[in-house]
Amino acid sequence: MDDWKPSPLIKPFGARKKRSWYLTWKYKLTNQRALRRFCQTGAVLFLLVTVIVNIKLILDTRRAISEANEDPEPEKDYDEALGRVESPRRRGSGPRRVLDVEVYSSRSKVYVAVDGTTVLEDEAREQGRGIHVIVLNQATGHVMAKRVFDTYSPHEDEAMVLFLNMVAPGRVLICTVKDEGSFHLKDTAKALLRSLGSQAGPALGWRDTWAFVGRKGGPVLGEKHSKSPALSSWGDPVLLKTDVPLSSAEEAECHWADTELNRRRHRFCSKVEGYGSVCSCKDPTPIEFSPDPLPDNKVFNVPVAVIAGNRPNYLYRMLRSLLSAQGVSPQMITVFIDGYYEEPMDVVALFGLRGIQHTPISIKNARVSQHYKASLTATFNLFPEAKFAVVLEEDLDIAVDFFSFLSQSIHLLEEDDSLYCISAWNDQGYEHTAEDPALLYRVETMPGLGWVLRKSLYKEELEPKWPTPEKLWDWDMWMRMPEQRRGRECIIPDISRSYHFGIVGLNMNGYFHEAYFKKHKFNTVPGVQLRNVDSLKKEAYEVEVHRLLSEAEVLDHSKNPCEDSFLPDTEGHTYVAFIRMEKDDDFTTWTQLAKCLHIWDLDVRGNHRGLWRLFRKRNHFLVVGVPASPYSMKKPPSITPVFLEPPPKEEGAPGAAEQT
Amino acid sequence: MSRINKNVILALLTLTSSAFLLFQLYYYKHYLSAKNGAGLSKSKGSRIGFDGTQWRTVKKFIMLTSSQNVPVFLIDPLILELINKNFEQVKNASHGSASECKYFCVPRDFTAFALQYHLWKNEESWFRIAENMGFQCLKFESKDPRLDGIDSLSGTEIPLHYICTLASHAVHLVVFHERSGNYLWHGHLRLKGHIDRKFVPFRKLQFGRYPGAFDRPELQQVTIDGLEVLIPKDPMHFLEEIPHSRFIECRYKEARAFFQQYLDDNTVEAMAFRKSAKELMQLAAKTLKKLGVRFWLSSGTCLGWYRQCGIIPYSKDVDLGIFIQDYKSDIISAFQDAGLPLKHKFGKVEDSLELSFQGKDDVKLDIFFFYEETDYMWNGGTQAKTGKKFKYLFPKFTLCWTEFVDMKVRVPCETIEYIEANYGKNQQGM
Repeated sequence: MDDWKPSPLIKPFGARKKRSWYLTWKYKLTNQRALRRFCQTGAVLFLLVTVIVNIKLILDTRRAISEANEDPEPEKDYDEALGRVESPRRRGSGPRRVLDVEVYSSRSKVYVAVDGTTVLEDEAREQGRGIHVIVLNQATGHVMAKRVFDTYSPHEDEAMVLFLNMVAPGRVLICTVKDEGSFHLKDTAKALLRSLGSQAGPALGWRDTWAFVGRKGGPVLGEKHSKSPALSSWGDPVLLKTDVPLSSAEEAECHWADTELNRRRHRFCSKVEGYGSVCSCKDPTPIEFSPDPLPDNKVFNVPVAVIAGNRPNYLYRMLRSLLSAQGVSPQMITVFIDGYYEEPMDVVALFGLRGIQHTPISIKNARVSQHYKASLTATFNLFPEAKFAVVLEEDLDIAVDFFSFLSQSIHLLEEDDSLYCISAWNDQGYEHTAEDPALLYRVETMPGLGWVLRKSLYKEELEPKWPTPEKLWDWDMWMRMPEQRRGRECIIPDISRSYHFGIVGLNMNGYFHEAYFKKHKFNTVPGVQLRNVDSLKKEAYEVEVHRLLSEAEVLDHSKNPCEDSFLPDTEGHTYVAFIRMEKDDDFTTWTQLAKCLHIWDLDVRGNHRGLWRLFRKRNHFLVVGVPASPYSMKKPPSITPVFLEPPPKEEGAPGAAEQT
Repeated sequence: MSRINKNVILALLTLTSSAFLLFQLYYYKHYLSAKNGAGLSKSKGSRIGFDGTQWRTVKKFIMLTSSQNVPVFLIDPLILELINKNFEQVKNASHGSASECKYFCVPRDFTAFALQYHLWKNEESWFRIAENMGFQCLKFESKDPRLDGIDSLSGTEIPLHYICTLASHAVHLVVFHERSGNYLWHGHLRLKGHIDRKFVPFRKLQFGRYPGAFDRPELQQVTIDGLEVLIPKDPMHFLEEIPHSRFIECRYKEARAFFQQYLDDNTVEAMAFRKSAKELMQLAAKTLKKLGVRFWLSSGTCLGWYRQCGIIPYSKDVDLGIFIQDYKSDIISAFQDAGLPLKHKFGKVEDSLELSFQGKDDVKLDIFFFYEETDYMWNGGTQAKTGKKFKYLFPKFTLCWTEFVDMKVRVPCETIEYIEANYGKNQQGM
């Protein structure tokens, strides 16, 4: 009997419930010993089985539950990791619903502290002038964007308006002025500041100090302003201390449909600001593009290396255009980020691409150069089967037919040893000098800016002797050196398949960009069929050039080649002009001609054996350097080559050579 | 009275228990089917082979991968062995002609599949769909070894293994990555802290104990047990590779530290030597592979790999080791045909054989033959000038794959013991 005594303890509840019903029924049973014995044994057996099954069930359920908890782990771990990065201070400190924010504005120093943590501090001399803007997440207090707009200088206020308009409603905006922020603060910008509720912003004067905290579209949370008493002095430093109430997480987030893409979007948008409609709650712009596939795509399996620094907004724009190009294969793209920057990595993750960070080695140009080397080596390691790699930079727009262009031309790189690269960029292809999307050239210079590198060239020649970190060389200048190029040429299109939009960068500024890059022609026509691709091979190209020169009409060399009237007002003709070029490296006249044609004149680009090809007024325009070029023989004896005098030294573009 | 009470209680208990038992059985079954058989009971024999759990799991897995265009192929050694035995029959079998379940119904814990990662286009969504179909998956990731050789890069982690269970059977998906040297690599399946060690019997896994390297297999589609699967075209070759597939990575970190201490030699001569030594290695590897002779990096070449992941520029020769039992009489002629004439031959096949071939640009290829004794291995060395003979003793070693100058080659797995036997304890300054 002791056997079954403990069992009531296991099942007391069910037993009690059913007792009365059994009692009546039970009494009717006989009292026979054998039957009783039988019942007893049976019951004991049943009980034993029950106990075993029970224990098993409990164990299994428990295991299943613990598994269910930890199973969707890749996603979850990631989220947690993100959470930790986002707001380390907030974790474990309980639900704090108020942020205390300090904003300081003065002539030489600005800082912003959130809950005692400094999120912005700038007291560097001659730097950081203008309006500093910080965007905080209204639910977490985490910094989502940090910008400075030098509104003392022209056009910066436009950039500020653009940025502020992109910030989602409800976010906390913090503004503070360092040194001077009003000189080029125009009415549009002032109106926008007024619409944010600012009193002092729209009235900001010369050398005033100003600190502002407010919610986008919501109430102003604090503002301080100090007028400059005189032209030669600054307003008193102001320190604004204010409390910012945090709102609930739901309020700060959008409710997009639960898809893989939106999960990525959500991760991105809860972390950073300033990307506009990609984070719009109502109608977010897509982050997956399904461009038409390219029939017979020869570059589908060519890896694409995107070389990036810390310009996440550029990277965002670049990747959008790259992923929209026909024939792109996203799994072949790798973004190499020079440094442990988070935001570019967030952009890469938004598009679901592979991102690799690179610990910076060396400084300035050498740093870029080392980054290029590591990126190229890594690309060929990751794709050991690849024979080529496409190299792009983060400040390029990619033409819709970029891959189509490469797919049609890449076989040249395989078949013609005299080629160094295929580049999507024509240095001389400006809006007024490029015309034919189907036309390709051979040039002795290496344009870069979206190009294809042959693996054998890299592995056998370039990688072993790549400039070491202590040599402060530009990688592209190094690649253009005769020791590396060894007489080989690059294929380029007449109309570029990339567009260089970056205006901040190591070798770049607004003036320089406006002068040399802004008016560059960029192909927007999809599916262009390239003409006579095989005529770009070494021998065939000579035939082609001779044919062109033979049918070209010789221009009137008595006219000034810088005048528009140098070329007749025709369309579709081919013209040739001869300029003086004493030796292979005498580019005196060409440089002057390039200058007056408003094309690239900082060094010589786009030449092929003393011949330049471009378009003027919709006519093909050939320029031959006499007598250095082998094509000089096409010059009629009566023609005297054009000679243009270089200006006296100080008028030349200062520091031009190092600016490229 | 007491007797009646006892009876009553007894009967009551019996009934309650049976009611409970029924309920529990019902619930248990319900629970199983709700979880789509993810129940983890390992009560072997009771289900396996009886209702073809494996077959059904594998079928579901294949349905999943083919619907998602994930080109997985079968690498399970047990099944491949069975297939290999009946290869003709398998090749000729047409779809649906399976009368009995011969391959996928043998009781096992796992079925191993593989996948080339660069052909996998939709990993994220695949994972989700697998879970929706009832698979419970574990994913094992690590950093990408292909970036380790390059200073200071850190990338997104890459997936190495997936283990997906369904109805007490597990599919082990080995993710192969392409490496320089035209081979496929898979990683080490490392159980990290938070992983449930009882998820599957990990010890019984056929892959993942070590990282592995394989020749890129050609694939073919066959129908076995009514399921269409991809298998290596030459299952025999693949099966032979498995036991010797262990891969060790070069010690890139130590190599970088070495170069920080003893700057790399980047003179023109050093670069030229490295280039010709690399070409000689590639030629030698090709020739020996054609003959089917196993070889490994020995002496200075091995030290170069171990210490600096590259060729030591002042070593002036390439050293390879071969077991004497792998010796073939046509080695010499094969090298001669490849453009490498014999320069020296020391010893004989029975005793301390060493061959030396003349490569281009004055680079020499030395092949040492290794002899095995009960508790050590040895090779003979002869000084070319004096004719003096030496016997070099090595502790017993096994061979591992590694990557060296864009090639997949073997080195002794016990590399440090091997090098110390060769050069003594301190080879840093050599």
